Amino acid sequence: MRQRLFIVVALWLCFSSAVQTAQAAKDGPDPIVVEDPHYGEVLFYFYQEDYFPAIVRLLAAQDKWRLGTEPGEGEEPNQFEHANQAELLLGGLYLSYGHHLEAARIFERLLADNVDPEIRNRTWFFLAKIWLQRGYLDESQNALSNLSDDLPENLWREAQMLQSQIFINSGQYDRAIALLQDWKGKTEWSSYAKFNLGVALVRSGHVEAAAEILDELGDLNPFNEELTSLRDKANLALGYSLLQDGQPLAAKGPLQRVRLEGPFSNKALLGVGWADAEVENYRRALVPWMELRGRDLLDSAVQESMLAIPYALAKLDSISQAADHYLNAIEAFYEETNRIDRTIGFIESGAVFEEFLADDPLDSTGWYWRLEELPEGPEGRYLYHLLATHEFQEGLKNYRDLYYLHENLDRWQANVGVYANMLETRLQAYEERLPRVEAALGRADLDGMVDRKLEFDSVLNDIEQSDDWLALASRQEFEMWGEITGLENTPALAANIPEAEEVRDKILLLKGVLQWRLERDFPDRLWRLRRDVRKTGEALVETQRARRKIDDTMRNEPLRFEDLSSRVYGLGPRIDGMKSRVANVMQEQGGFLKSIAVGELQAQKQRLDIYTVQARFALAAIYDRAATTVSEASQ
Amino acid sequence: MEAEAQSREEFRSLDENVQDLKKEVLDLNRDLFLLEEELLFPANSQVAFFISMDVGEYFELDSVNLKIDGKEVANYLYTEREVGALVRGGVHRMHMANLKTGDHELIAVFTGKGPHTRDYRRGATISFNKGIGAKYMELEITDRVKKQQPEFEIKEWE
Repeated sequence: MRQRLFIVVALWLCFSSAVQTAQAAKDGPDPIVVEDPHYGEVLFYFYQEDYFPAIVRLLAAQDKWRLGTEPGEGEEPNQFEHANQAELLLGGLYLSYGHHLEAARIFERLLADNVDPEIRNRTWFFLAKIWLQRGYLDESQNALSNLSDDLPENLWREAQMLQSQIFINSGQYDRAIALLQDWKGKTEWSSYAKFNLGVALVRSGHVEAAAEILDELGDLNPFNEELTSLRDKANLALGYSLLQDGQPLAAKGPLQRVRLEGPFSNKALLGVGWADAEVENYRRALVPWMELRGRDLLDSAVQESMLAIPYALAKLDSISQAADHYLNAIEAFYEETNRIDRTIGFIESGAVFEEFLADDPLDSTGWYWRLEELPEGPEGRYLYHLLATHEFQEGLKNYRDLYYLHENLDRWQANVGVYANMLETRLQAYEERLPRVEAALGRADLDGMVDRKLEFDSVLNDIEQSDDWLALASRQEFEMWGEITGLENTPALAANIPEAEEVRDKILLLKGVLQWRLERDFPDRLWRLRRDVRKTGEALVETQRARRKIDDTMRNEPLRFEDLSSRVYGLGPRIDGMKSRVANVMQEQGGFLKSIAVGELQAQKQRLDIYTVQARFALAAIYDRAATTVSEASQ
Repeated sequence: MEAEAQSREEFRSLDENVQDLKKEVLDLNRDLFLLEEELLFPANSQVAFFISMDVGEYFELDSVNLKIDGKEVANYLYTEREVGALVRGGVHRMHMANLKTGDHELIAVFTGKGPHTRDYRRGATISFNKGIGAKYMELEITDRVKKQQPEFEIKEWE
């Protein structure tokens, strides 16, 4: 009897974990009855977020018709009842593994009307999100258009946000503005909507309208870190746009609303300083700039402040202090440039990404993985902010997945070698045993045995029909019967004398008793004999069946060996070919990551070069001014 | 802006390559997985032993030890992550074996923490017949709510 396991199906959990809707998961669909332990095995890996082995097992199970989408020849038509669920789960696994194109192919085929609308909507929504992150804007738009109109409130808002992001990323600012400007509600989504609206307005040249929106957003009372960060971002954007617009006093307010410690604080401090400097209040400008002096030199705001400080000091006529600061800046920029050069060299050597993955256990695969911490070392701090970009993270994910594939193929390559040896040993053992088996089979005359059994059946039929009870007598009884009939025919007993008559009566009595016994036991003896013959017949049938199996095995085994051999020896080259392709793409992917990282460092270096030149010019101007002053004084 | 678009294009082209490769390697893994199973555990002699959990409130699994016909064949130590997957409904194929047709005896010993986080060790045993064709045995840990104790059952799948 097939047993049942009740398991809340995984696809639901896949999306609920992906979009972090724990509440929705609690109210999820009814459990689905799992009809096969292999399906449970797929879930065992899936729940550990180990998507690769989960997919392999599901594909293998489908291939063997264990969870087949349709029955094989001679198999039960309903061998696995929820083939569609298995297929949907496969789509979910592909998606979790980051194989979004294959996942979409499955969903397009399966997400018809018979699938729970909530699962369907979540699936398309999740795909849209992945595709947006990976820059597949058309695909993302297409996935969004598959969402139904009756979306739950929360999902609808998130979908609108995604849509506006697609419009902004594809340069359709007017459509983004049209979508966002009538946003209603006071949830945190409305803050994101305002920010996106502000961005779309700025990019489409409506700076004043954008300023109003960003100002409103910059004044909000945030209740979580994300919103605080959004508020900082809005204030910074607004402050700098006002600075660029020549309104330094108006710019100060929003810039001062940015937190002192946070991802945007350095830029805000720099901006506050420039706002004061613009109105020639250099003494006040020095306050935020001096605060920046102790911060990480990697930040362009900190670098710029190293030039801004002596600039303000010079304006305040503290020439010697200004000169000292310029000299410090030049030296700091020089050292930083050297460090960047070393890091570029290290990245170009290719070792850096291996180091990125060295501490990663590779025990979970998929799209959810993120490199949260950089390995210790001088290069880590330069690449830190690269991790925040989708392109780098997604590229790194691909690199890591390729590394995993390479390791996986390495292991199989070793195993396939062992399997080839194993197969050869088995073939050899089979060939050694075969002649012995064939000789033993030749000695066993099965057909003769069957003929004898049939002959025996016919004899028993004759005995039964003729009621031949003597035929079933034992040897002793038969001999006794012979003796009695022999005595009966003795001539001496034919005499008509009383002694002879007495002996004849005794013989007749003996004969009668023996015949009575034989007749009495006849049905029982016949039944026992028939039973034994039937058993012999059954054993013969079993033997014939076994013989047929042996014959089948002898016929099929060479074919099986041939099939296994061709697979074992065929898979070897496939693995080799695949490994080299993985290695090539890994190299390309590494090259791409390198180009992003080196490009970023080159930009930093270029900026430092410009700052160095500016510092040297400023320093030269100060020296010049000092020399002119000295010469004027001496004259 | 142009450089950004170029970089995005390069990323996408690489990403499509990676996607294709992933599919091919997954298909190759499927073929290898099936080959390995057929080679090491032919269907006629194959027996697979699965561990599953239903609820698992009264028992925190540490390890399972399997003996077939008095001979120890497997001893598996579960990680927290694996136990979590079992609790959520995953089924772990703990052991595969080749057995001759006929009668066999399976003894499974479960070790872990029982009610009140006390060390807990319990055995379950079953005699089963191995016919022609693959056989699957499920070792299930369930909660006996009435007694507030775990229960260990061994079942045969078709």
